[in-house]
Amino acid sequence: MNCDDLEKTSSLYLYDELRAEDRAAFETHLASCAGCRTRLEEARRLHRVLSECPQPEPTPELLVRCRQALDEALDREQLGWRGLLRGWMWQFGAAPAPRLAAVLTLLLFGFGLGWTLRPRARSLAPLTLSGTTSPFGASDLGDVRIRHISEVAPDPQSGGVRITLDAERRVTLEGSLDDPRIRQVLVDTVRGYDNPGIRRDTLDALRTHRDNPSVRAALLYALRHDANAGVRLEALKTVRGMQWGPDVHQALLGALEHDANPGVRVAAVDALVEHAVEEGENETVMPVLLKLAASDQNPYVRLQCLAAVRKMEGNEQ
Amino acid sequence: MVDGACLELVGKHETSREGEAEAERALIRRAQRGDRSAFDTLVRLYDQEVLRMTLRMVRSEEEAQDLYQEVFLKVYRSLGRFRLESRFSTWLYRVVTNVCFDHLRQQKSRSELPARAGADGELDYAQALADDRPGLNPEQALRAREISRRLEVALRQLSPRERMVFELKHCQGMKLRAIGELCGTSEEAAKNSLFRAVQKLRQDLSDLV
Ligand SMILES: [Zn+2]
Repeated sequence: MNCDDLEKTSSLYLYDELRAEDRAAFETHLASCAGCRTRLEEARRLHRVLSECPQPEPTPELLVRCRQALDEALDREQLGWRGLLRGWMWQFGAAPAPRLAAVLTLLLFGFGLGWTLRPRARSLAPLTLSGTTSPFGASDLGDVRIRHISEVAPDPQSGGVRITLDAERRVTLEGSLDDPRIRQVLVDTVRGYDNPGIRRDTLDALRTHRDNPSVRAALLYALRHDANAGVRLEALKTVRGMQWGPDVHQALLGALEHDANPGVRVAAVDALVEHAVEEGENETVMPVLLKLAASDQNPYVRLQCLAAVRKMEGNEQ
Repeated sequence: MVDGACLELVGKHETSREGEAEAERALIRRAQRGDRSAFDTLVRLYDQEVLRMTLRMVRSEEEAQDLYQEVFLKVYRSLGRFRLESRFSTWLYRVVTNVCFDHLRQQKSRSELPARAGADGELDYAQALADDRPGLNPEQALRAREISRRLEVALRQLSPRERMVFELKHCQGMKLRAIGELCGTSEEAAKNSLFRAVQKLRQDLSDLV
C-alpha cells in the first residue's frame, strides 16, 4: 500500500470498512510514514467534527402527523378506482370482520362505468341501495369505504351490473359533551382506536370534561398505556389540569419512572414538582427524583430531575 | 455517532425469532388481500425507522413527512407484487432509498444554484436541533449549531448518490455492502461515493477541523 492508496482508504479505515488484510497493510504503511500519519489525523478530526453534529430525530408530534396524513391518503386510495380494482382482484381473500359493516348492493348501469367509480363521480347514476328506503345518490359513495366485494354480476339484458360488497359507511355524530353517548364514543376512542392522531384529537375534545369520572379514567389510562408517546404527552398535559388526587399522583409517578419516552418523563417531572411545591408535600416525589437524577439513561432527564430536587429543597428551607 | 437505533436497522431482523418472521408474513399476506388494519399494523412496525431515515436524508420535517407518505403509498400499491420469500425490511428500505434518491435528484435539478443554502428558514431545523441538545455548555452548543449549519450547507453540494451513501453510512451506521444493495449498486461503487463525499465535506469544512 502506498501513500495514494492510504489517502483513498482512510475513510474506510475510520468507518471500519477495510478487510482484515487491507487493514493490516494500512497500519503497516502508517507505522513507517509520518506524512500519512498526519493526513490520517486530519481525516480523524473531520470524522470527529461530523460526529459532534446532532442527528435529526423524529419527534413524536411529527410521527403522529405523518401517520394521520398517511391514514387519510390511504382512505382516499381505497375509495378511488385503484382501491376498487384492488378489491376486485382480492375478492377471493378473506375479509376481516368489519366493525360497522353494512351490506350494500349497488346497481350500476353500464359496466364500463364501474372502472371509473370514484367518490363523487358525476357520471355515476343511478344507484340504489337495497335494504334502505332512502335513495342512494352517487355523492354518498364518498362516505363509503369498500372492504370486500363478494359478487359482481353483470346483467346482459339491461347492460347493468350488480355488485355486492361490504362497506363501511362514514357517519357524523354531533352533540354536546354533556351527552353521555357522545362522551362514551370519545372515551372508547381514547382507549382503543388505532389511529394515534385521532386519539390525540379526542383527548383535546375531552379536555373540558376531564373531571367527569369516566373521562378522567380514560385520560389516566391513555397516560399509562397509550402506545404513542405523542398521545401520552398530550394526555399528561390534560391530566395536569385535573383536580389533583391519588390517582393523578400515581399516574404521574408511574410516567416518571416507567415511561419509555424521555419527553414524557420530563413533563411528568414538571407536573409533579409544580404540585409538590404548591402543596409542600414531597415525601413520595423526592426519592424518585433522586433515584432518576442518578440513574435515568437520558442525560437531559437526569439534569431535569436534579434541577427539580434543588427547586424542592430550596422551597423547603 | 453510530447510535443504537441505527444499528437496530441493520440487525433487527437478523436476530428476530422465526416466530416473529412468520407472524410478519401472515400480516403481509392479510395486507396483500386488502386488509387495511393488517397494513396499518405493518406500517406501525417500521414507520419510526422509515421516518428517521427520511428525516436524516433531507433534514426537513416537512419534506420527511412527504417522503414518509410516498414510501408507504408505494408499498401499499405494490405490496401485491412482494414475494414472501424475500425479506420485507430489505424490500421496504429499498423503497425508502429509491424515494429519497429521486427526491434528492429532483431537488438538485430544481436548484442547481446553492442559493437555498443561505436562506434563513432553511436552517431553522438544524438550529432548533442543536439548541435542544441537553448537557452542552453554551460554547459547545454554539459550536454544535455552527457545525450543523455548515454541514447542512455542505451536504447540499454532494451529488444525490454521494449524499445517500454518506447518510446511510454516517447516520444510519450501515455497512457499505448493505448500502450498495439498497442503492442498487456495487459495494465498490458505494465506497467510491463515500470517498468523494468525504473529500467534498473535508474541503467545505476544513476551517472547522
Ligand atoms: Zn504514506
